[in-house]
Amino acid sequence: MSETPLDVVSISGVVKRFGDFTAIHDASLTVRRGEVHAIVGENGAGKSTLMNILYGLLPRDAGTIELFGRPVTFSGPAEAIAAGVGMVHQHFKLAPSFTVADNIILGSEPLAGYGRIDRARAERDTAAISRRFGLDLDPRAVVGALPVGLRQRVEILKTLYREAQILILDEPTAVLTPQETRELFATMRTLAESGHSIVFITHKLREVLAVSNRISVMRQGRIVATLDNEGVTAQEIAGLMVGRSVLLRVKKAKAEARDEVLLKVDGLEARGERGEAAVDGLSFAVRSGEIVGLAGVQGNGQDELVECIAGLRRPVAGSVEICGTKAVADPRRNRAAGLAYVPADRGGVGLSLASGIWENLTVGHIEEFGRGPFLAIKAARARAAELIRRFDVRGATLDKPAGSLSGGNQQKVQIARELTRDARLVIAEQPSQGVDIGAIESIHRTLVEMRDAGRAVFVVSADLDEIFSLSDRILVIYRGRIVADLVASETDPETVGRYMGGLEEAPPAAAASVSEAADHVH
Amino acid sequence: MSTEALDAAPSFPLAGLVKPLVQPLVAVAIAVLVGGLLVLALGENPIEVYSILVHGSLVGWPNFLVTLQMMSPLLFTGLAVAISFRAGLWNIGAEGQMIMGALAAGIVGYAVDLPTALHIPLALIAAFAGGLAWALLPALLRVWLNLNELVVCLMLNPIALLLSGYVSTHLLKAPGPTNKLPDIADTAALPTFSLYSQVNAGFVIGLVLCLVFAVVNGGTKKGFEWKIMGLNPRFAYYGGIRVPLQAVLVMMLSGGIAGLGGAEQVLGEYRAFYDNFSPGYGFDGIAVAMLANFHPVGVVLAAFLFGALNGGSAVLQMMTGLSKYLVQVLQFIIVLILAAQFSWAFLGSRRKAPPAHAAPAAPKEE
Amino acid sequence: MDADLAFSAIRISTPLIFAAMGGLLTYQAGMLNIALDGFMIVAAFAAIAIAYATGSLTIAVAGGVACAVVMAGLLALFNLRFRAHIFIAGVAVTFLAYGLTALLLRGILGEEGVFSSNTIPNFPPIAIPFIKDIPVLGRVLSGHTLLVYVAYLCVPVVAWSLYRTRWGLRVRVVGEAEDAALAAGIRVERIKVQTMLLSGVFCGLAGAYLSLGYVSLFANKMTNERGLIALAAIFFAKGRPYPTALVALLFGTATALSVRLPQMTGAAPQLLQLIPYVVTVLALIVVGLRNARGRNRHGAWKFDVT
Repeated sequence: MSETPLDVVSISGVVKRFGDFTAIHDASLTVRRGEVHAIVGENGAGKSTLMNILYGLLPRDAGTIELFGRPVTFSGPAEAIAAGVGMVHQHFKLAPSFTVADNIILGSEPLAGYGRIDRARAERDTAAISRRFGLDLDPRAVVGALPVGLRQRVEILKTLYREAQILILDEPTAVLTPQETRELFATMRTLAESGHSIVFITHKLREVLAVSNRISVMRQGRIVATLDNEGVTAQEIAGLMVGRSVLLRVKKAKAEARDEVLLKVDGLEARGERGEAAVDGLSFAVRSGEIVGLAGVQGNGQDELVECIAGLRRPVAGSVEICGTKAVADPRRNRAAGLAYVPADRGGVGLSLASGIWENLTVGHIEEFGRGPFLAIKAARARAAELIRRFDVRGATLDKPAGSLSGGNQQKVQIARELTRDARLVIAEQPSQGVDIGAIESIHRTLVEMRDAGRAVFVVSADLDEIFSLSDRILVIYRGRIVADLVASETDPETVGRYMGGLEEAPPAAAASVSEAADHVH
Repeated sequence: MSTEALDAAPSFPLAGLVKPLVQPLVAVAIAVLVGGLLVLALGENPIEVYSILVHGSLVGWPNFLVTLQMMSPLLFTGLAVAISFRAGLWNIGAEGQMIMGALAAGIVGYAVDLPTALHIPLALIAAFAGGLAWALLPALLRVWLNLNELVVCLMLNPIALLLSGYVSTHLLKAPGPTNKLPDIADTAALPTFSLYSQVNAGFVIGLVLCLVFAVVNGGTKKGFEWKIMGLNPRFAYYGGIRVPLQAVLVMMLSGGIAGLGGAEQVLGEYRAFYDNFSPGYGFDGIAVAMLANFHPVGVVLAAFLFGALNGGSAVLQMMTGLSKYLVQVLQFIIVLILAAQFSWAFLGSRRKAPPAHAAPAAPKEE
Repeated sequence: MDADLAFSAIRISTPLIFAAMGGLLTYQAGMLNIALDGFMIVAAFAAIAIAYATGSLTIAVAGGVACAVVMAGLLALFNLRFRAHIFIAGVAVTFLAYGLTALLLRGILGEEGVFSSNTIPNFPPIAIPFIKDIPVLGRVLSGHTLLVYVAYLCVPVVAWSLYRTRWGLRVRVVGEAEDAALAAGIRVERIKVQTMLLSGVFCGLAGAYLSLGYVSLFANKMTNERGLIALAAIFFAKGRPYPTALVALLFGTATALSVRLPQMTGAAPQLLQLIPYVVTVLALIVVGLRNARGRNRHGAWKFDVT
């Protein structure tokens, strides 16, 4: 093996656009043989998009990609796999009712004539590579019955079985316990030592420093720096990730929190989609005239918590009170009690993308326009037109489908509809996700106005910048519990980041999880 | 910006009226073309065949009345399917609901002794209830157990046919060789208007129902809620619409209307419940509803078209070597084309959902 | 149960078994194909028309299968390429097929409603050596025509293909976890088209059997909802080949009884014919109850559009 590091991947000048939105600007990156290369960046920085381009899931609009010195253009994952690139997605791509061996051989099955699968060989091979890389797995186990950490091993083995030389791991630790994370890191080191190259997408700086050889930092679709992991501190990386330019601070007066509690959550417990305890005995209150921000790494129970408040999920235990009324698992009743809710999932929950904008603005206000059994459509449309003007929804006409608007303008439609309701409690979930800077400002200003008008505002965001720019008080959620309740003006992102990462396991100096960076939009 | 600007008046005044017609007309045109080729292949002259169809259904008072008679059941089943599809509920069980409605009307029609003023309404109510009951099961299973209403409706159709067959050939069979219930009493008969055809008061009921639902869909809270629910039920529920309740309500109305269609047949046309009376009106209703783009007024137009085709097909069968089933072929080519979502965009239609990348902010990462 | 009844149960179940195997393949690939009746009727018509024209049963069966595959291709085209809802497209294809066969029956064969001819050759009954000599069993199992045996032999072949071969693994993964298949570089659409076309092949055999296998006769809508009963068997057995075949055989037996029983007792045939549908609805409810319990555990509101 030569001493000079060999570039196995070299990406240069790659550009990716989605409509008018440029997700990747002129990104260049090299990955060496036998290194763990971390790519860090904030939510929406473009990490996953860039790696999906490398893996052939997305076409690029410009730039070149070279693999082992040869230029390549993949039209699909199959070609990337054949060229030696493997990817482990954050959401596993496994068939749960099949065995480990079946999942691993899928797509390149060993045959025994007449199109038969050579199951004995499949199981032998599976056992062999799992031993070789120290990944202990029973080839005959059914994947659906395995814990998350082992399922991830199946994903890694899938790529190794296809003799991948380059492994892309997308947020691999997001779903792992600390113990599983340690085992994963050991595996990553083993693989790197055996000559594999690993691209490790993450936002957890402590992990980056612990496991990687080199670190590339992405911000707003650009690679702003590539550093050797020697003498670099978490603070430096965090600075590169955030960049002073994007810091948004809305001008706001000091909060005049009153004593009236508009949201009271008491001992709430709720289960997640897989039946796990997602919200685990959680209590807090939000008062009128204050903005409370909920910070946390995605997947720590925020979604389930908000769904319980909104009435979209039935809690297992505990209670929620909205403006003094006990909340139930029925959005209609909770809204009547005084809830306005701007959900993160615009297309799935917060809007009907195929319906006209006036219809989207009228849902939730139907009773206002009720004339007996009839609906005063003229009045509803007039109000919708007024809202479009007032909230400056660009490119909107009353009958245009909401799906034709850009993300920022869709968000304005949601906000216009929700905040014009006579509701004293406002919940805004990821209010600036996928929204351009200009729109963020106006959205934030609207939320502050709501606070000044004496409403209680509860902001759930994966973006620490947003949390700090808006909140008077910051709550941190970790594994379904509130682990910190801080006054915004008396704390700093680093402290909050430590709580977000789970204080107990994080040595205070090194840990700074600047923001949750799952680029995924639900 | 003014309200007028937001309303973005169409460039020419008729555009708003013409636009919704483009898609159905293109589908009809393609069906006529394909049907024409088929006719040609069978050695007949397509132009002659189509002119017989038109002539046989529209020209002359008797032919026209037969067309109205043929469109009557389609008004009901088409409307039933249209209101359920519009609300996102795939009620393909109109056939079974119609049969159960007909059976109920048939039983009440002969077994009860009442003056006309009470007998007809009672029989109609029974028909409505019969269809409603048959739609209630899939609706409740959908709401409680999240069972696909399509599959349940699919199974309930033959169950209705076999159950009604059992009743009309065994339990309550009229004496004689025919498999039917006894004739209904004159007091339960819907009045007919002409000697030329069996078009009856049921036709008027169907028209009125379509107009009523045009108002319900276009101008009431319920109609608004059903539309939103059909396009995104999660959004509707989040926005405070009682989706499960409305789903059951829509299915019940849909089933009830299909049941009334059965009453039209039994009380108006046949004057008794006959086993296996429906040649598939419930499924034709799917064709009508799709051609109507789920709009009640469109249902009237589409039912008229299909009624005319059905009416003309009898003449076609007599005058040429072709089968009346040519019409069924045309109908379901239309359904197939309308069900497809290919390139309707070039017609300026909004049928297609916006592409995933329409929102630049949400590049899908996996 | 006497031997004659068992014999006719096996015979009557034959098209059900074919159709169920066809529907099962698309079911396993994640598509609910409700156009089985449509595929069958087209094959039934094509087979008898070709047999009448050529006098060759081989060409007739092959032609019937080919026509059913064309219908399957039509459904695949509209569902997979043009994104039509599979149920709506399936209903359309089925009724298109009913109409088309009735139209062609008059247009080509010049008959209305029913067609039969004594010039069409029959499948000879096959006596199986040894088995035919076993007392009761021989009378039940031996003496059927070729397609009957083919149908029952298809069951192990389908089971083997699905559970032993590479193709089968891919089909099942496509049905269960399409994203896993995509990530593994499997061409999902191609697999789906393949299962749909094979569905056409099996329904083609079923259709050919209906019009040629027993009495040489074609009648409008002669499939008589057999496709639906096959689908019911698939739902009931959750798409597993052997249980599906067994349930189809049971449903076929119920049908055989519904023909025989009234002759003997005067009971209503409809009540026996109801069995497949009622049993299926009940089975759906049981499955739904079980799933609902699981859903309630995490308490999320679900009302997904199909």
